[in-house]
Amino acid sequence: MADHEATAHHHEHHPEDPQAHATRRAILQAAIGVSAGAAVLSTLWVGAGLVPREEKVPSKEPVAVGDTLVFATGPKADQEITLDDLRAAQQEKIPFIIAFPKSPENVVKKDLITNTIMVILADPNKMSPETRQYASPEGVLAYSAVCKHLGCTVSQWQNDTWLCPCHGGRYDIYNQAKVVGGPVPAPVPQLPVKVEGGKVVVAGEFLGEPGADV
Amino acid sequence: MYQWLDDRLSIGKLYAKAFRKAFPVHHSFFLGEITLFSFVTLVLTGIFLTLNYEPSIRPVSGSLSGGQEVPAAYYSILYIDSLPFGAVIRSLHHWAAHIMIAAAFLHMLRIHLTGAYKNPRELNWIVGVFLLVLAIITAFTGYALPFDNYALTATKIGYEIGAAAPWVGKLLSNILFAGELSPTNTQTIPRLYPIHVLWLPLALIGLIGAHLAIMIKQKHTQPKYAEKVAPGKIVGVPLFPQQAAMMGILFLVYIAVTTFIAGAFLAHPVQAFGPPTANTPPVKPDWYFMWIYGILQIIPANWRFEFLGATFGPQFWGGILVPTVIILGALAIPFLDYSKHKQRYLELPSQHPFRTSFVVGMLMFYIMSTLAGYKVDLGLSNGLLWVLVFIVPIVTGVVCYIIMKAIYGKDWNQEVEVRITGKGSAADD
Repeated sequence: MADHEATAHHHEHHPEDPQAHATRRAILQAAIGVSAGAAVLSTLWVGAGLVPREEKVPSKEPVAVGDTLVFATGPKADQEITLDDLRAAQQEKIPFIIAFPKSPENVVKKDLITNTIMVILADPNKMSPETRQYASPEGVLAYSAVCKHLGCTVSQWQNDTWLCPCHGGRYDIYNQAKVVGGPVPAPVPQLPVKVEGGKVVVAGEFLGEPGADV
Repeated sequence: MYQWLDDRLSIGKLYAKAFRKAFPVHHSFFLGEITLFSFVTLVLTGIFLTLNYEPSIRPVSGSLSGGQEVPAAYYSILYIDSLPFGAVIRSLHHWAAHIMIAAAFLHMLRIHLTGAYKNPRELNWIVGVFLLVLAIITAFTGYALPFDNYALTATKIGYEIGAAAPWVGKLLSNILFAGELSPTNTQTIPRLYPIHVLWLPLALIGLIGAHLAIMIKQKHTQPKYAEKVAPGKIVGVPLFPQQAAMMGILFLVYIAVTTFIAGAFLAHPVQAFGPPTANTPPVKPDWYFMWIYGILQIIPANWRFEFLGATFGPQFWGGILVPTVIILGALAIPFLDYSKHKQRYLELPSQHPFRTSFVVGMLMFYIMSTLAGYKVDLGLSNGLLWVLVFIVPIVTGVVCYIIMKAIYGKDWNQEVEVRITGKGSAADD
């Protein structure tokens, strides 16, 4: 009501076109809106610089056919894994070896998390046919070692199952890493391998997507 | 001297106005102060740590690592531990963070149980919830800094949980950790370091300032008895000297106890874990993350679906959804349970059986989901844990409510009268 009176007053003293008033207001609002939008956009543009830049380096290349597998940790780190090493590992509490691929150009591809691989010498008779198909005749078997749950390295061994220490995920290595316990959403992919000159060599690509499933 | 200062700063007026401010007294009111003392301790020990820490993972070797090449950040932790009382200061920083989160949590429980979040203090409750969440995030960003194998694995789990947030998770995780978290990502530590030592602490200081300013402006709630002693007045002791003396003594006791803990239980011996490798050591989260860890362990693996290009899997349910729902629930409390008039006095938990039972049920949920964190160690089955985590807290709340109704349900005065008549009649006989 008071508003109405004020407007009426306004008209008496300034016989200005009310249309012009509204237009001026609209232009101001549009200007403020555009400025705010530009400010937000430029902030996002600058903020995008926080997203890390992906660098292409040989040590970040994914595992490829023809790579050999080398020790990822321990005193023999970066040395090629031999059948003898795998036989020795069988006697240990943890009967497998965590490995990285090494390219024919002698680059250990350790800077890509999903290149973390577990390799084990297992009894071929205990393997399912699909599993055996991608293992070497000697029983050398390899999987991505990055847990499908939250990306830990599956590094433990308990009651003949492969155990992730972070949230208790369990994999059956004889059956294409079928999940047999814990909150893991999917099996880790198998990596086809063969043995050449006593060394473990990659014979094919991962049979699925390696890395945490998020 | 006093005259000189008073002429310039009007200390007399300040003294009369601010220093004589009345502070209501109750033991439970010190929980917030303990949280503040922890923060002060964290800043002070943090200054010592930042001056000796090298935020980089460039390989270095020296006598402390036995000539072995280790990341510089890791080496600087070995260096700090080799300084006089260096390991104690580092442990003090570690335990003060634990105590800060615990004290903030208990402080929040006290506010909840006594209904102190009601009109007009809803805003300060919200600030408080953000403070607790921010304190936990700040603690988490400090995990990776020692850059040993354990620290990196624990941080990696946080990275993947963050990445499990639909659509934006991966991007946000990559921004926070400067790319995928790995033992060889050289950018992660230089990014986490300023976040942990500068930006999050500044945000905490700002929120703590707002928390205290709102509290002073709105005046502290008073214990129930104050209503009978002097209704409409503030019953308490002046800030100076009485309250200040109590705070000073409490701070000294706090420092003494925390330093004793730090000296007796040295935190996180990095040598025991070694620098990060491709291998994952068995990790257990800190107690304030153990409940999430427990829930993550009991969510069935096949609970996943895809929607508009985002995956909603166990990591999302346990790591993102449950904590988010609890935080949103906490924020909603002052709007679900409110009062029209302005609250000046605390409510007795015994007179609010529903609210008290709810809090007890939530505590049981926290305890049981923490227990689920020991699923593998204790060999507990998933079915049993689901009952323990989701059914037992509800039963606990209901039982608590029934018991409270039975004990406190009747009017106290009436009960006293009944007892008196009973006595009288017995004497008559």
